[in-house]
Amino acid sequence: MFKKILVANRGEIAVRVLRACREMGIPTVAVYSEADRMSPHLRAADEAILLGPAPAADSYLHMDRMVEAARQAGADAVHPGYGFLSENSDFARRCEGEGLVFIGPNSRALELVGDKVRARQTMEKAGVSIIPGMKSIPRTMEECRQAAQGLGYPVIVKASAGGGGKGMRVVSEEEGLEAAIEAGRREAKSAFGDESVYIEKCIEEPRHVEFQVLADNHGRMVHLFERECSIQRRHQKLIEETPSPALDAELRDRMGSTALKVMAAAGYTNAGTVEFLLDKDRRFYFLEVNARLQVEHPVTELVTGIDLVRRQILAAAGEPLTLRQEDLRQRGHAIEGRIYAEDAGRGFLPSAGKILFLKEPHHPGVRLDSGIAAGWEVPVYYDPILAKLIVWAEDRELACRRLAAALSDYVILGIQTTIEFLRDVIGHPEFRAGRTHTGFLGRHFSDWGEQRGDETARRLALAAAAFDGMNPAGSGRRASPASVAARRPSPWDSLGRWRMGEPS
Amino acid sequence: MEHEYILDGIHRTVSLEKKEGRTILREGGVEFEAEIRRISENEIEVRAGGRSCTVSLAGDGPRRFLNALGRSFVLSEPSRDSSRFAGSEDKEVGQAAAIKAPMPGRVIKVSVSEGQTVRKHQSLLIVEAMKMENDIRSPLNGVVKKIHVSAGEIVDSEKILVELEPEAQEAAAG
Repeated sequence: MFKKILVANRGEIAVRVLRACREMGIPTVAVYSEADRMSPHLRAADEAILLGPAPAADSYLHMDRMVEAARQAGADAVHPGYGFLSENSDFARRCEGEGLVFIGPNSRALELVGDKVRARQTMEKAGVSIIPGMKSIPRTMEECRQAAQGLGYPVIVKASAGGGGKGMRVVSEEEGLEAAIEAGRREAKSAFGDESVYIEKCIEEPRHVEFQVLADNHGRMVHLFERECSIQRRHQKLIEETPSPALDAELRDRMGSTALKVMAAAGYTNAGTVEFLLDKDRRFYFLEVNARLQVEHPVTELVTGIDLVRRQILAAAGEPLTLRQEDLRQRGHAIEGRIYAEDAGRGFLPSAGKILFLKEPHHPGVRLDSGIAAGWEVPVYYDPILAKLIVWAEDRELACRRLAAALSDYVILGIQTTIEFLRDVIGHPEFRAGRTHTGFLGRHFSDWGEQRGDETARRLALAAAAFDGMNPAGSGRRASPASVAARRPSPWDSLGRWRMGEPS
Repeated sequence: MEHEYILDGIHRTVSLEKKEGRTILREGGVEFEAEIRRISENEIEVRAGGRSCTVSLAGDGPRRFLNALGRSFVLSEPSRDSSRFAGSEDKEVGQAAAIKAPMPGRVIKVSVSEGQTVRKHQSLLIVEAMKMENDIRSPLNGVVKKIHVSAGEIVDSEKILVELEPEAQEAAAG
């Protein structure tokens, strides 16, 4: 086993990986940028090394500094988390060359699946159905225009090195094509250092269903079933769950086998995810391979009971996979809601700032993967994910209720977050019915900020504010009730229970 | 004692009166009794009608953040209201509208030039924050009066990016 693991990431995923290492008894080293000096992930590690200035290019994306940090700390393995260097085959190769084990796929497989265009070619050859689209990177705008016309609008512009929706744009008519390609290139360049984009046919109202795969270095491979991640904004997932309400045993089996075929064709090792789009007629298309641990991996962990990070580390250390497909089962239902520092009422604008107050939910069946703390300033430089709230319950309906209840008890003050928005999505009858697709938020929640209203909560907040104004904290009146029980009828009497986000 | 607040952009008046050990609240024409106590520096419990709710609150300069029943509110006092709508018009200099940065970030593209006529919803500039591009669009038909930033510049939240002169008709109507 490894002597020491460097976790080349920040935030909640760094905390998650560091904890897994600790459970396995492996010493750890965290890395950080100047903007992250006070970040909670540093406290989850045995030691921490400063990489450089705040911009990711000078810190979390800087290969030389990352390798140097590993050498300095005496680490023999690197866990890249997700994002940053996690799907960078140059970095994986660099690690291999430096005698560092990259905890992820081998660099050849990473290179193949990381190049979305090459991956599509390989999968098409292996007999996996893919979404119609360009088979090579276009050189001119004219090429794009012709391809888009041939495919028929709407089309989707995608970054070849992409992931997480970065660089991705849906174009509904020719007029918007050039601007979308331009924006896609810029975003791809800044996020991945590679500005290649290409065009695919846009499948309308599909479900996003992905399969988790685990492979060892000895040719053994299993899948850990699906995750449905159809609730997305800007092509970024917001809510993920497993099992998918859209799959039955037969379809699950077929998609699972296809996922294994994809990974075998890529010569894949370690943990990875095969993403599919599932259309209304239950046809599924290979989308891409995410060659890393996914943000949404906890839902799989909760229904299969398998610790994916631990399995990644074991596989990277060369240990043979001990899981057998026929032994794996899905038990109950798990849902994850992503807590972003974003203002959902204003088009999900990032909301940086200081966390003035934090109260986390503690319920049975609730898991919170978090990278924040009270008093901590959310930097503007990185992805705005703060935490993930994941619940497990016996069935989907119970899991929805549990997540809604936990979200109601989750308070982050000082910045805008997606907590309330998530609760309203979970409470939506169409979501409850399992009728989800990737256009779900656009259809049902595009005017969310304007229609949300809750007079009871508002009145309570105002009462507390007025009280606070008259009795400032620390004025010595703490814990002294301002009045005794109410006697006359009050507007509260006509209200139902005060628990919210649950069906009444 | 009366308290005035701006909550989600709406003016609210709450009065909180202590009478013989009881607290009587008036808000929006409704009067009721409540039992209110501080639980901790950031938490206040409000009890009324036999039910209890813990309201969390924290301040940041003129703004206060509150959460009740899982709903968040930003509250400010009218005299020093800072809850301006970002990215939208803000009449300051005569009839000109100032377009402000909705969040701290980096200007990556300025799509218009001074003197240019713009349509409502037309893209003015693109500001990147947290790796996402945010298209700042014009809230009105008008003319670009002044551009305060250039591509590559790092901007703070609320920084004026562009000033617009509304179209004559609209200015007259508004």
